Amino acid sequence: MIQTHALTTNTLWNYVKSRYFRLNLITVTLLIGISLIWVYPFIWVIFSAFKTQREMFTAGATLLPNEWNWENFKAAWVQARFSDYFLNTVIYAGAATAIEVVKSAMCGYVLARYRFPGRNLIHKMIMATLFIPIASIIIPQFILVRELGLLNTRTGVILALSGGAGALYVLLFTGFFSTIPEDIFDSARIDGAGFVQTFRLVLPLARPVIGTVIIFQFLRTWNEFNIPLVFTFSKPELRNMAVGMYAFRGEHSFDWTGFAAGTVISIIPVLLIFFVFQGFFVRGLAGAVKE
Amino acid sequence: MAARPITIRQQISRRVSARIEARRRATPYHYRVKGLDYVWVYLFLLPFLVLYIGFTLWPLGATIYYSFFEWDGIRPLENYVGLQNYRTIIDDPFFWRAFKNTVIFSITNTVVKLPLSLLVAVLLTRKWLWFKRFFRTVFFAPIVIPVAMAGLVFTFLLNPATGAVNDILVNNLGLLDKPIDFLGSGGPPFGKNWPLISLIVISVWQIFGQYMIYWMAALQNVPEELYEAAEIDGANEWHKLAYITLPIIRPVAIVILFLALVNALKVFGLVVTLTSGGPGQRTYVVSYYIYNQAFSSTPFRYGYASAVAVLFGVTVLIAVTIQGYFVSKTQSADS
Repeated sequence: MIQTHALTTNTLWNYVKSRYFRLNLITVTLLIGISLIWVYPFIWVIFSAFKTQREMFTAGATLLPNEWNWENFKAAWVQARFSDYFLNTVIYAGAATAIEVVKSAMCGYVLARYRFPGRNLIHKMIMATLFIPIASIIIPQFILVRELGLLNTRTGVILALSGGAGALYVLLFTGFFSTIPEDIFDSARIDGAGFVQTFRLVLPLARPVIGTVIIFQFLRTWNEFNIPLVFTFSKPELRNMAVGMYAFRGEHSFDWTGFAAGTVISIIPVLLIFFVFQGFFVRGLAGAVKE
Repeated sequence: MAARPITIRQQISRRVSARIEARRRATPYHYRVKGLDYVWVYLFLLPFLVLYIGFTLWPLGATIYYSFFEWDGIRPLENYVGLQNYRTIIDDPFFWRAFKNTVIFSITNTVVKLPLSLLVAVLLTRKWLWFKRFFRTVFFAPIVIPVAMAGLVFTFLLNPATGAVNDILVNNLGLLDKPIDFLGSGGPPFGKNWPLISLIVISVWQIFGQYMIYWMAALQNVPEELYEAAEIDGANEWHKLAYITLPIIRPVAIVILFLALVNALKVFGLVVTLTSGGPGQRTYVVSYYIYNQAFSSTPFRYGYASAVAVLFGVTVLIAVTIQGYFVSKTQSADS
């Protein structure tokens, strides 16, 4: 892009004549077209949340509601118990993300910096289990949680959410910590820093990876359907929002506008998280996959 | 005319392979653990290992073990049936239906989403492009909708009577005479394959942002000076992509490929809410089959469901191993 202060008629004309200008005209037009289709379902959900049931079924492709009506949000929050589900989702995603970041940072650090008996075995097992479809292990996970007496409790859901994943995150941390220059560790050792001090010294450097893990794990647990569905079967009040939208399914009908409001409620916090951490995002992954 | 691109390619390739070689040599250093640090090392591993053993390793072993029993998950585990579960699965046409659908879904899904997201990632990392941040956000956005909710949104949008898609195609654009029942009986040109095709398209739309981010991260590993040097040699965008970008990101690309395939094989929530496996098992997938056997049949058939999981997992493992074998073969043939 051209700098504004250097924007004389001449340089502007040169830029307009350049092939990058023509490339941009074509690409940006194309991308805007695709973007409109891409976000259409989004915009549709948001506007539907303000429609009445009747308008919803007659609107077809029309997006804007006739009049803005906030009743649906009230219906979703109160009648459909999204107040409960929202709280549950926050607890599940928050706790599972915190556990995930801590355990994978610690494990990744040790794997990246130290040689000890069992290191290769752990590393190889993590790699191998990265490629196992989750459908195959949910039954024993269910039985383990049941044997621990944690079925239909929040703790059980959180344990299952933070236990099943993690292999990829450990590899991200391992990759990042192996790229930290030797000198930092050497000088820490010369200064007499012990094991834990050294870890606390280099942990802030891993901010990009931490940001990445937070976004990925938060997204995964916020949107998780399978685990909360199975682990809170007989306690509907412990459902998260993704499972809780079943509350909009009536005996013979489906409350579409309430559902749209529920969806809007559930996506706003995630968008916030993404905007806060997106600066770290790509950089973190880049550092992590260098290995 | 043909001579010039070859010299450009050779020039570029020499620099690229030097870079790859240098990176391979730079292996990270590991301290040998001494004294009290042993305690710390294993203490640091403990939280991960406890959860990993409890929720990944043990479940893997247990699934294999359960698969030899007829078990409802409640009574004691004592009805050993040997390979009976496996025989029943092999004779069950529903399983094979689900298996076939899952394989078709996973391969098509991967073949569509990976090249497209790579293309978009390359485009959205070009320095000259305007509104990069905006477009990145747009392509990332669908991933914030829970998969299950996305499924429901599309049951409405694709509805033949009230949905927006048919409304646009029939009334606004006039492309169709009558609406298509995308998730039901289908219509021209794909007939009864529409439900599975819709499932694939929606899943690509939903997960696209994640793979775009993976690719963008991989692209950051390509040193800018290689592009600059290539430009001086007269390389165009295609040369840069084929001779610099792709060779450098290949190790990461292989990991992304495997992740993409395995994640596609897990498809569940979208199927449940979009089609419930229907119509007539046309979108029935293995994870849904396992779920039905384990949790919605009476009595629960945990043993049988475990056998399904094992059979499916082993098949996937074999497929991945074969794929890995060919990938490593082509790689060693190249270098």
